[in-house]
Amino acid sequence: MRTIISSVILIGLLALPLFGCEGKIEHAKTETVKIYGNCGMCKETIEEAAYKKKEAMAEWNIDSKMAIITFDSTKTNLDAILKRIAQAGYDSDEFLATETAYNNLHQCCKYDRKSKLLPSTEPTVNDNVDLNQDTIQNADESAQINIIFDRYFELKDALVKTDGSLASLKAKSLLEAIEKVDMSQLSPEIQTVWMNIVTELKKDCTSMTETKNIETIRQFFIRLSKNMYSLIKVAKYDEKVFYQFCPMANNGKGANWLSKENAIKNPYYGNQMLTCGSTKETIE
Amino acid sequence: MKYLIVFSICCLFAQKGITQVSVRYDLFIRDTVLNFSGKEKHAIAVNGQIPMPTLTFTEGDTALIYVHNEMDIETSLHWHGVFLPNQEDGVPYLTQLPIKPHSDYIYKFPVIQNGTHWYHSHSGLQEQIGMYGSLIFNKKKSDPLFRPGIDDLPTLPIILSEWTNYNPNNVHRMLHNASDWFAIKKGTTQSYAEAIQQGQFITKVKNEWKRMLAMDVSDVYYNKLMINGTSEKQYSEFKPGDKVRLRISNGGASTYFWLTYAGGKMEVVANDGNDVIPVLVDRLIIAVAETYDIIVTIPEYEASFEFLATSEDRTNSVSMYLGGGPKQLVDPLPKLKYFEGMKMMNSMMKMNGNLDDMGMQMSFNKMDMNVVMYPEITGAANNENSRIESNNYNANEISDIVTLNYSMLKSTVVTSLPVDSPVKVLKFELTGNMNRYVWSLDNKVVSETDKILIKKGEIVRIVLYNGSMMRHPMHLHGHDFRIINGNGEYAPLKNTLDIMPMETDTIEFLANVEGDWFFHCHILYHMMSGMGRVFTYENQQANPLIINPKCAQRKLFSDDKRPHFMAENDFATNGNDGNFMFQNTRWSFGTEWRLGYNDMHGYETETHLGRYIGKMQWFMPFIGFDWRYRNMGLTNHEKTLFGQIDEKDNRSKMSIGFMYTLPMLIHFEAEVFTNGIVRLQLMREDIPISKRIRAGFMVNTDKEYMVELKYILNRNIGIRTHYDSDMGFGLGLILNY
Repeated sequence: MRTIISSVILIGLLALPLFGCEGKIEHAKTETVKIYGNCGMCKETIEEAAYKKKEAMAEWNIDSKMAIITFDSTKTNLDAILKRIAQAGYDSDEFLATETAYNNLHQCCKYDRKSKLLPSTEPTVNDNVDLNQDTIQNADESAQINIIFDRYFELKDALVKTDGSLASLKAKSLLEAIEKVDMSQLSPEIQTVWMNIVTELKKDCTSMTETKNIETIRQFFIRLSKNMYSLIKVAKYDEKVFYQFCPMANNGKGANWLSKENAIKNPYYGNQMLTCGSTKETIE
Repeated sequence: MKYLIVFSICCLFAQKGITQVSVRYDLFIRDTVLNFSGKEKHAIAVNGQIPMPTLTFTEGDTALIYVHNEMDIETSLHWHGVFLPNQEDGVPYLTQLPIKPHSDYIYKFPVIQNGTHWYHSHSGLQEQIGMYGSLIFNKKKSDPLFRPGIDDLPTLPIILSEWTNYNPNNVHRMLHNASDWFAIKKGTTQSYAEAIQQGQFITKVKNEWKRMLAMDVSDVYYNKLMINGTSEKQYSEFKPGDKVRLRISNGGASTYFWLTYAGGKMEVVANDGNDVIPVLVDRLIIAVAETYDIIVTIPEYEASFEFLATSEDRTNSVSMYLGGGPKQLVDPLPKLKYFEGMKMMNSMMKMNGNLDDMGMQMSFNKMDMNVVMYPEITGAANNENSRIESNNYNANEISDIVTLNYSMLKSTVVTSLPVDSPVKVLKFELTGNMNRYVWSLDNKVVSETDKILIKKGEIVRIVLYNGSMMRHPMHLHGHDFRIINGNGEYAPLKNTLDIMPMETDTIEFLANVEGDWFFHCHILYHMMSGMGRVFTYENQQANPLIINPKCAQRKLFSDDKRPHFMAENDFATNGNDGNFMFQNTRWSFGTEWRLGYNDMHGYETETHLGRYIGKMQWFMPFIGFDWRYRNMGLTNHEKTLFGQIDEKDNRSKMSIGFMYTLPMLIHFEAEVFTNGIVRLQLMREDIPISKRIRAGFMVNTDKEYMVELKYILNRNIGIRTHYDSDMGFGLGLILNY
């Protein structure tokens, strides 16, 4: 026993100089670069991403969005540091963060990203479309509806992945799309359905955005899916949609959802019971 | 310059419409010193560069490659995946004699195929330190199989590789001595402390109970990964909307790479130099020595897009960027959940060391047991919901990410072999033993087997079962084989097949070119350990380049027969404790010593010569010699546990005995000396307590015991404290090689 104790002490003593001291950055080189961000929390994340002991550190200014980056030029370079910052979710003029990294940022950190989309040189709309008033209205109508379904499917996919925070975000974007709907653009048939379900849709989405708990979100997803089903029965969607059912969800009462794929990917259980369920109806 | 002139002359000839065009390259091979990763290290450069230059030919050309070996060591060049006469295949002592130092050599062969291939040294471990390069055979424009929209795209030859600051011979030696230094460098020790932290203590105990060392998906720690010998390179010549064909070869010695792209899905159009029907994927893994042709599109954004190659163990990655403007990154691959992998291995491993696939018939990477370790597929670690559905390891079914597997590959042409040819069926089990780093087929290494005779004109069908715990890229020289993956007559053609643990894959090829052809695992350190076979044709003509076949065979076999040396000594306050060992595939010779500083402590040495038996090599009978002396100033002898008089004070005796590895990796040793004294001993070394702390103990029937604790400072130095029943408490510095 004595052996062990003394050896632990010994190791502790030896380890001290290994972990104890904070090193200064040698061969220091300093550069000032712009990093897109919002708030004090962003500052923390950016500086943490840049930091590497004895190698690199950054100081980011909220107002100017400029970061002073100091690094050991024999060990690393500016690009490597900016890449780390981008991997944490923050764009610079050199590196762009991935969508996942950006989405993972806290709500208050979601800075406005500069859209890098080029003005498309080719016409995206089919040239043959007859541009009379009626088709334009229809185009608007289907665009409004399409975006709602697109975002619903994104929300469903987040549930399949069992990712509560992502689902909450997707619910928020669905809510935004619902709020933007201009009723006057809808055909009378859709209008009727829409008026019946819009309150519940908004309520369910709002509840989902207020939590990150996956099980709570799944509860609200039951009614949301039912309402979306009544909408798709009258509205048109670009692709084939499958109305699917899992008998185990909702405490054994069963629950439905809509999916673009015939293969079952259960949003109520995720990979716990991914393929539980069956397709009840194909909507074309 | 010289070869440029020759090359342009050749081009002139080409324009004049001469059908047989000779295209000549000159390769000057030199030793060099390079700094890839902070340290100046020995490497081999060809024409002043690493990787070797990309050699480009068109189908129908004659390749003429002049090799100028300006090094002080022998070398060779193998043309990977190329159909050629056996003499040009470039395997030293099998198809030719090595290219002597400071001499020239000419490889000449007609190019009778098209596609992406590569070339590398087949001598020793030279491939690890720079001798790999792309080899591109272009399709003729007039070829009826020319695919517009694919074969006329701008192309970028890409060769992936890795760099280690350690001498590769040393890497090989360390692997054979089960050094866990690479695991420490990679942060994958999977010690008890880490296991407890993650609530996986039972998993770890079970793992050791089944006599497994910490499992990892790769063996070697690399300092740097490279794309075309560099990293972070931007190819700004490509514009938004452009499509680029990447001709990718994995020239790494032992690294599998995950390939991902920031600009959307990738279109796989060829594999191992053979066209396949295009398939869109989010990612793919490229095995060691495989090639893939992939088309990527630069999206209509004002940005460049990251193409990311990540090592399978995910400890390192390398990027390039396609297009101009700011660099759009792709999501890095999250760290592996090692303990999930350990759990999976525990459930598959039977107590006798065989693997149990639990009734899943696995083949062609469709089921990937490793998905349990991939957070992007099965959720983050310690996530309650991350449990995998029973027996579903098909990554494409349980996630939205489309991962390429071999069953998705379909040839563009019918590849069926003639129906009336006789069929020869061969079965091999891929066998291995991580603890001793022995890799073999049917538990036999190259030097323990004869060449396998095949007949010209017959179909050779090989059924491979991987019963080892690692995946192996099996490569066949000089032929392409069909992989029987369910695509019938459109079965794809390959020359390197990655086979995962527990998979059974069937491949077949037409024996159509005489010669001695190597069939081996392409992980360099596995090949050098003897994991392979040689196919040879019945009644074939002798190879005129092999002047003395007996001598050549002996040289060829020497690779896997080579003993590996290790030694360590603890310079402690109470004496010197140490040992050295020479080990090869089957034999082990070593001496242990304890040398005191005074007569009372005395000295003792134990020497053993043993042979490992069986696939798992848990059993080793040995003969030994014990020599010890000490003077305690007492005349009465102690007795052993069996009541025999113990001669610990002065013994010099021969012995026979055996060692057996028990569950929990405890070595049980039983030994009987020439005077009838019996000794039994239990010992366990290197219990991974934490990342760098190891514990050990020993106890035997001579009533000796020892406990130790060691802190690993670096690869060669540690601090050790121990208590020994004879020598007492000691504290010292342990040096090991």
